[in-house]
Amino acid sequence: MIIRILLLSALAAIGWFVFLKRNRLPFHIVVVFAILGLGAAAVLFPDVSDEVANFVGVGRGVDLISYLIEVAVLFVLLHYYTKFVEMQRKLTDVVRELAILRSEIDRGATKPPPSAGDGV
Amino acid sequence: MAALAPDRSQTWVVIAAYNEAKVIADVVAEVLHEGWSVVVVDDGSRDDTATTARAAGARVVRHSINLGQGAALQTGIDYALRRGAHTLVTFDADGQHCVEDIPKIVAALDTVEVALGSRFLGTIEGVTAQRLRMLRAAVKVSNRLSGLKLSDAHCGLRGFRASAADKLRITQDRMAHASELLHKIRASKLSFTEVPITIRYTQHSTAKGQRGFDAIRILFDYFFR
Repeated sequence: MIIRILLLSALAAIGWFVFLKRNRLPFHIVVVFAILGLGAAAVLFPDVSDEVANFVGVGRGVDLISYLIEVAVLFVLLHYYTKFVEMQRKLTDVVRELAILRSEIDRGATKPPPSAGDGV
Repeated sequence: MAALAPDRSQTWVVIAAYNEAKVIADVVAEVLHEGWSVVVVDDGSRDDTATTARAAGARVVRHSINLGQGAALQTGIDYALRRGAHTLVTFDADGQHCVEDIPKIVAALDTVEVALGSRFLGTIEGVTAQRLRMLRAAVKVSNRLSGLKLSDAHCGLRGFRASAADKLRITQDRMAHASELLHKIRASKLSFTEVPITIRYTQHSTAKGQRGFDAIRILFDYFFR
């Protein structure tokens, strides 16, 4: 089936990109390859996912997979939203320090700027 | 009224301004004329707010990008604290506050650590019925959120002793900072009082004010940021 070839090559491509970025932690790579492996298994042996689904009380393998994806997407969203808020706070701190520092320079202040860290 | 306040220059009036070039000079001049120190935080305006405010005699700190009113106020507070401010007063840039109210706020700080302006205890000029309804609703929500019983919410005219301002770090960059402040006042058990003040809504300030829809965004920020 064409869909299998498409899915498997997509997974292989992702694997290749992860392999190229080997400067990441080995743990990351192992986890990603494990997930890719599971994906490939699900493509090659669709019946297995049905069996697993039945075992945990879900009717079809496809449903099980879509539930898992849902949870994973929520997790990733939340994770990045937290990071985003954190980054924005840091950005605010940087812009604030920059603004105060620049106003000191503009006024031609001769004394050194207040030490970093005062603001936080 | 010159009887009190040993040195007015030790009170820093913090004005957060975004695209207020039209009115900022008048506001700054009025406040400076009364002898207060003024820092204007230009929150990345696209107009001449910074230059105009500087020409009017204010110290100007300029955010290189627009961060929001909460962030701008905190920058002004940091600046003033580093300049050895004794007391701090936040003041709106759009001309809706009256300089005559600043001494009342500062005087209140003799007995409490935080003084919050209240237009509902004072006077509201030029308000539309619709805005009044919205404001009253905001007060209810705000009291529910903060657990404080106040007659007004989110009034921009407030005063802090330096020690109190140091404890109340604003981390809400945008408009939710007002609720955040009330929450932190309560959490750090600071003493506070409300001071009757006058608000003058002009066409300019009404156009720049918050609209009903903004409430949703403020609530989102308050809970999720």
